[in-house]
Amino acid sequence: MKLTGINRNYYGYLFIMPFIIGFLAFGLYPIYNTLALSFTDYTLMSRDGSFIGLRNFEVLFEDQLFMKALGNTWLLWMLNFIPQIGAALLISAWFTNIRLRIKAVGVWRAIFYLPNLIIPAVVAALFNSLFAFYGPINQFMVRSGFMPEAMHFLQNAVVTRGIVVFIQWWMWFGQTIIIVMAGMTSIPVHLYEAAMVDGASSGQMFRRITLPLLKPILIYIFVTSLVGGMQMFDIPYLLTDGRGAPSNSIMTNNILMYMKFASSRGHIGAASAVGVLVFIMTTVCALGIFFFMRDRDESTFDKSIRKWFGRKNGNGNGKG
Amino acid sequence: MRKSIFVVLSLLVLASMLLAACGGSTPAPSTGGDSGSSTSGGGDAPADGKRVLKVWSFTNEIRTMAVAFEGFYPDVEVDVVYTMIPMTDGEYQTKLKAAIGTADAPDVVALEAAFVKEWVEADFLADLNDLLPLAEELGTFPAVIQVGSHDGVTKGFSYQATPGAFFYRRSMAQECLGTDDPDQVQAMVADIDKFVETAAKIKECNPDYFTVGTSGELFNPFLANRSQPWIVDGELVIDPMVVEYIEFAKLMRENGYESQAQQWTEGWFAGMSDSLVGADGNPKKVFSYFLPTWGLPYVLIPNSGDTGGDWAMINGPLAYQWGGTWVGAMKDSPNLDLAKEFIKFVALNEENLTNWATGVYTNEYLKAIDPTVPDDQAQAPGDFVSSQVVVEKITSTFDGSELYNWLGGQNNYEAFGQAAPRVNGSLLTGSDDAIQRALESQRDQYLNGEIDAATMWRQWLDLVRSEFPDLKLPEPPVQ
Repeated sequence: MKLTGINRNYYGYLFIMPFIIGFLAFGLYPIYNTLALSFTDYTLMSRDGSFIGLRNFEVLFEDQLFMKALGNTWLLWMLNFIPQIGAALLISAWFTNIRLRIKAVGVWRAIFYLPNLIIPAVVAALFNSLFAFYGPINQFMVRSGFMPEAMHFLQNAVVTRGIVVFIQWWMWFGQTIIIVMAGMTSIPVHLYEAAMVDGASSGQMFRRITLPLLKPILIYIFVTSLVGGMQMFDIPYLLTDGRGAPSNSIMTNNILMYMKFASSRGHIGAASAVGVLVFIMTTVCALGIFFFMRDRDESTFDKSIRKWFGRKNGNGNGKG
Repeated sequence: MRKSIFVVLSLLVLASMLLAACGGSTPAPSTGGDSGSSTSGGGDAPADGKRVLKVWSFTNEIRTMAVAFEGFYPDVEVDVVYTMIPMTDGEYQTKLKAAIGTADAPDVVALEAAFVKEWVEADFLADLNDLLPLAEELGTFPAVIQVGSHDGVTKGFSYQATPGAFFYRRSMAQECLGTDDPDQVQAMVADIDKFVETAAKIKECNPDYFTVGTSGELFNPFLANRSQPWIVDGELVIDPMVVEYIEFAKLMRENGYESQAQQWTEGWFAGMSDSLVGADGNPKKVFSYFLPTWGLPYVLIPNSGDTGGDWAMINGPLAYQWGGTWVGAMKDSPNLDLAKEFIKFVALNEENLTNWATGVYTNEYLKAIDPTVPDDQAQAPGDFVSSQVVVEKITSTFDGSELYNWLGGQNNYEAFGQAAPRVNGSLLTGSDDAIQRALESQRDQYLNGEIDAATMWRQWLDLVRSEFPDLKLPEPPVQ
């Protein structure tokens, strides 16, 4: 009997081996290599480099552009994430509401998801043409009297950022709806039925039943969106000149990293330093999200804190 | 029972992994074998016994050259791998840099003027000094050699010379300036001050007329007339011409002398065919375009609609050159001898250059050599070649040609032939592309009034500092 147990474990390891190998080769090794490269002055055009310690990071923190890129990335991400999660929650609540009984939910969901299927490069090129000085938006706005004369939309920092935020929102809220809806439909219907019997309003049911039970899903969306947002690249890169124009207003972390990588000599060391800092920042923030959104009653961490201070607050039966 | 299923499954997984590993590794040794065997000239024989030369390019022109090369050397197969994103955001350069030293590295690379210096200054291209006597024989224009050389070593040759010109609409000149004669119009735009005066006249003549599509076209002409390159002894130099250019561009914008369409966008092209329509619904017209030799056959004529015959060509206010494609060989290429042969053919073969310029390489000609070429693959006559000997021989053949009529009875070859020897190739450096793109990125907002001059210069210097952390930067010219 004992032997079978060992064998079973052994087979288990065999089965997860492809993933482990894939992760080591394509996940962990690149991270390690990026970290190693970030301490060198390696460039593509010289093919050799020497260890220069933290010099790359020093240069980066003196670089106005890096600070600007960090700020931009956070701004662009938050401005698209908040409406995205808001729209997804609202639409999903409508779609799953048993009182509303909206028809053809699947069709709507597919329509909302469609923008996600278009290649970002195409979307960026499309918006670039739409908002060009001699483009259709200008033609329409001026001829129908909304604007006195044509303007350079993509030369204005606020408009350009707005376009990036809109594209990100428009492309990704369908995806979020699918995940949120999956979460909502997995909540047992009898909870809502019981609430209805007790005379709860839609708003109350949403706040007291849907939101708390949706928390794990929301954490997942929050973290994946954060990871994606910190790596925002294609839309802002392709919308203007690939250098964050106008006035570096849509320069993101990854555009800066790519610029350093693609610069005339191809400074891989400097580009890796940007990558390492973005990695550290994303990891810390993702862990922060897990920590602050954790289920306080079940967390062993909280229990140990409570034990430490000898306090008894709550008794763990809040969730019926 | 269950146990045996586990065993079978695990074996399957293991076997698939092994197969995957083998599949991944088999090509590697074979390419390694290639590089070993073919240095001797024996050839890395594919099935049909032909040698393969890997050529990377950002322009289809090189494909035409490759097919023609196959025709000249029937025993060689040239396999051309393209990256067709020429002058946008530098993807070609990035891909090329990443391929150095790998099995994917090409044997021959095409290098655009904007980044050829990076490569000539670096240590990856083969020394082509032994081809210099051939270049001398052909009278290759000095600027072409200058750009392809660094520290006395020539690493790239070009089949083109790219002196710039100024193309204008004859009908608009007649209407607004009273003449369409090239000599008289040249006198009216002989320098920047006169150019601006003429621009004012055109605006006065009709407010829907613009002198240029965008002042961005004049960036190159101004840069070509600097007295120093961008970087001297590790320090960035802001030449007075650069400052003057920005002031000039602002003046063009504020007085409405330019259409404000960005270069290479639909609006900019629309001006060439008279189909530009303003947001207010009024048709607009563009008087002139600053384009070099290649701009005529590749940009202006294909986009000119039915305005052919209404164009004329002069030198314009500033002598300049713009663009051009150089070809170099990778130093550690296993096919270096073949690569050199290819470069010799592309840039230093009198017959090829003559064919290239006179439109011999039609689609039928190329199809006869390689039936798989696309239907639009061909070389129209009129590209300006790098050899003075060839230029002098073929100039007269353009009299009365289609091009000649398109220019309202002007021989473009003659005009370019006079400009080409005067071009200065010594201002180009490997860092130009990044520095100039960074300035262009900031310029447009300044012209548009989004930021002031001081902010523009400061943000530009920030961008340059970010890209070249070790470069000493001067104070911005406007504070």
